[in-house]
Parts: sequence; structure tokens; C-alpha cells
Amino acid sequence: MDFSREILYPVLILTGIAIFFSIFIAIFSKRFALKKDLQVEAILGLLAGANCGACGFAGCEAFAEALAKGEAKISMCNATNKECKKKIGALLGTDASDEETVVVCACIGGIMCEDKYEYQGYGDCASVELLSGGRKSCPTGCIGMSTCVSSCPVHAIDIIKGVAVINQNKCIHCGVCILNCPKSLMKRIPQKAPYFIACSCHESGKDVRINCKFGCIGCGICSKVCPEGAITMVDNLPVFDYDKCIGCGICADKCPSKCIKELVLPQKNDE
Amino acid sequence: MPYWLYLVIGGIFINNFVLSRFLGICPFLGVSKKTETALGMGLAVIFVMGMTSIITFGLNLLLKELNIEYLQTIVFILVIAALIQLIEIVIKRFAPSLYTSLGVYLPLITTNCAVLGVAIMNVTELATQNIFTSFVNGISSGIGFTLALLIMAGIREKLEYSEIPERFKGFPITLITASIMAMAFTAFAGLSF
Repeated sequence: MDFSREILYPVLILTGIAIFFSIFIAIFSKRFALKKDLQVEAILGLLAGANCGACGFAGCEAFAEALAKGEAKISMCNATNKECKKKIGALLGTDASDEETVVVCACIGGIMCEDKYEYQGYGDCASVELLSGGRKSCPTGCIGMSTCVSSCPVHAIDIIKGVAVINQNKCIHCGVCILNCPKSLMKRIPQKAPYFIACSCHESGKDVRINCKFGCIGCGICSKVCPEGAITMVDNLPVFDYDKCIGCGICADKCPSKCIKELVLPQKNDE
Repeated sequence: MPYWLYLVIGGIFINNFVLSRFLGICPFLGVSKKTETALGMGLAVIFVMGMTSIITFGLNLLLKELNIEYLQTIVFILVIAALIQLIEIVIKRFAPSLYTSLGVYLPLITTNCAVLGVAIMNVTELATQNIFTSFVNGISSGIGFTLALLIMAGIREKLEYSEIPERFKGFPITLITASIMAMAFTAFAGLSF
């Protein structure tokens, strides 16, 4: 066997080429390194890493890049905890004291809302929704077939009395249920909001009352009694302006249908 | 006519890598959705082919000298892979949007048979073998590849808005287009000077 031809030269040549190019690549990658790489990586390390996609980006990495470029706001992420958000804010040199939001289900009809038909068959809300817009006679009534329950990554949603109820103790406010609910009943409201409207039905008062005992009849009393003028009626439903709301609770007291609900948040023990 | 001019015309039209030799089909089908991306990909391939031609020609002389030509393939692939790495770094830095739209096809040039093909043909097929002809062959092959890619991308952009039978939408019509283009390019084989 020719030692030098079959072993020595191949090894020498291949290593030689490899070393030559690796030096080149090393120089190039130093020279043309991305400036923001470190920052993006630091942000990525602080994000929740759930890759839930609720921010609208293709995952935490894309979100971190957008944050570094200033195209996104940290408040768009709801899974990251407060402390990490503060650190990210410090990294970006912006104030991170953005409003925290929570997710609520804007329907309390459930078994008090009449069924159009009895659904017997396979599937969840999405499949029921395909059949003439859901089994409830209210066009925006919670179907209660657990699409949100099964989509929730932290199992924070239960169907109680035919309607989805979010357990705020477990909820991480990621917003996956908002994306999945075929009726778009899951709403995002500010965490400091004391009251919210727990009905999404835009029909007239009479139609609502026929269908559902708890539905908003669009009487407009809440907007009249509100001392701050924080409630306006839009299409038979009150709309809250949480910048004006002082949380007096008069609207909830006076609501004849009792469909303005107080937002009960768990006492957070920040360890 | 000088030999290098034959190489240019041959590389671009007659022996077009995609449409006559059927090499490098993967990026041809993968990156030909938009003309911009196709052009970016084409330029990257032209650069890689040109550089590879020069470097591998020199290395091949060395291999011949040491009588170890059997190492040809692995040495060439090593050179191509290294060049791709360099290009990737540069594109990532200066054209991030191009980088994202090229996606996985950029590192895949490493295993693009067209690039390895041009390197091997330089040292086996050319009648006059020197570093200049190798370079010309590499560049013109790259231009041929880019040409095919650009034509394809143009046609596919038009196809987006045309009525195609349901079953032919997407890849089937693309493959049919490619085959018709290949047939058209065989006509260049009849060129004589």
C-alpha cells in the first residue's frame, strides 16, 4: 500500500482546504455579523417561549426580531410574565408598563339560551357551527361543545351550565381560545377593567329575550346611568371605554338582564 | 470564433444545465415562484459556479500532481459548501428579505448537482482546459441556469392569474411548463457556426 498516496495526501489536502475555508468563514462571519443578533437572542431568552402565535407573529423568535426592530410591542405578548417584560423593556429602552389584558367569554347564555335543534353527532363547536350556524337560537350564543376547552394550552376553560367559563387562576392570557372560538366570543379586555358586557348578541331586545334569559336587550340603561359616560350603545350592545370607567358598578346594578359582569381576578401572589 | 465564445453560447443555450442536462431541478422548481427571488438565486448560483470553477480547477491540478484524483468529488463538494457558507453570511447581512425568501434553497446549493456538475465537467469535458475556460464555462453555465429560472418564474407569475383546470394547478402545470421549455431549448442543439 502506498502510504503517502492513499492516506497522507488525502488527509493533508482535505484538512488543508478545510482549515483554509474555515479561517475565511470565521473572518466573514465576524465581519458581516448581524448587529442585532445578541439583542434578539436576549429577548428570546426572556419571552415565554410558548410559541402560541397569539401575538400574530410566526413564533417567539419572529416576535423577538420584530421587537428588536421596533415593529412590535411587548404588550402584544400575553404569555410572558411581568418581570421578564420589564427586563425586555429595559433591553429595548422602552417603557414596558403596557397595559396587561385578560381574556373573558362574552356570553353567559348557556342553558338559559334556547336550542334551535338538538345536535347529535361527532365533533365540537366548529362542527356544530357548520350546521346552520350553531345549535343555539341566538346567533352569537356559546355553543358549549368545548372547542375552547380542548384548545386551551393550560386547561383553564371549563364548560359550566353550557357556557365556557375561564378560570382566571390558570389562564395565561395567551389568546389561543380567541383564535379558535367559531363564534368569536372570547374577548380581550384590560386587566384593570372592573366590568365587562357578557353578551355578544346584536339583535333587537325582543328577539334576544325570546332566545335567551341573560342576553343584553340593548335597552341602553347602562349608558344612561354611567356617571362618567364611559358606555356607548353600538348596534344594541354597550361598548365600554375603559379609559373613562371608574369601576363604580352602577351599570351592573341597574342592568335589567344582569349581563354586565364584574371581572373577578385572582389575587396574584408574585413569587 | 474564439473557444470561450463557444463556451458562453453552449453554456447558456445549447447545454443549458436545467433544460438540456436536467441538473439542478430542485431549485429550478423550488425558487421559481417570483422573478425577484429567482434572480437572487440565479446570481448566487452564478457566483458560486464561477468561484467553484476557478478554485476546483486549481485544486484538480494539485490532485493530478499527487495522483489522487479519486478525491475529486469530496474535495469539490468541500469547496462548494464553504463558498455557500460565505454567500449565506453575506446575503443574510445585506439582503435579509432575499435570505428569507430563498429559505432552505440557499444552503441546498451545496448539494446542487449543477454546481458539482460544472466543476467536474470543467476538468473532464472541455477541449481546452485552463483556468480561463473553466471560469467562462462556470459563469456561462450559471447564466444559463439563471435564464431558465427567470423564464420559468415569469411564466409561473402569469400562470397564477390564468384559468387552469383544477387538477393541473400547482406543481403539475409547472412540470408541464418545464418540459415544454426543455423541448424548446433542444432546438438550440441545431445551432452551427
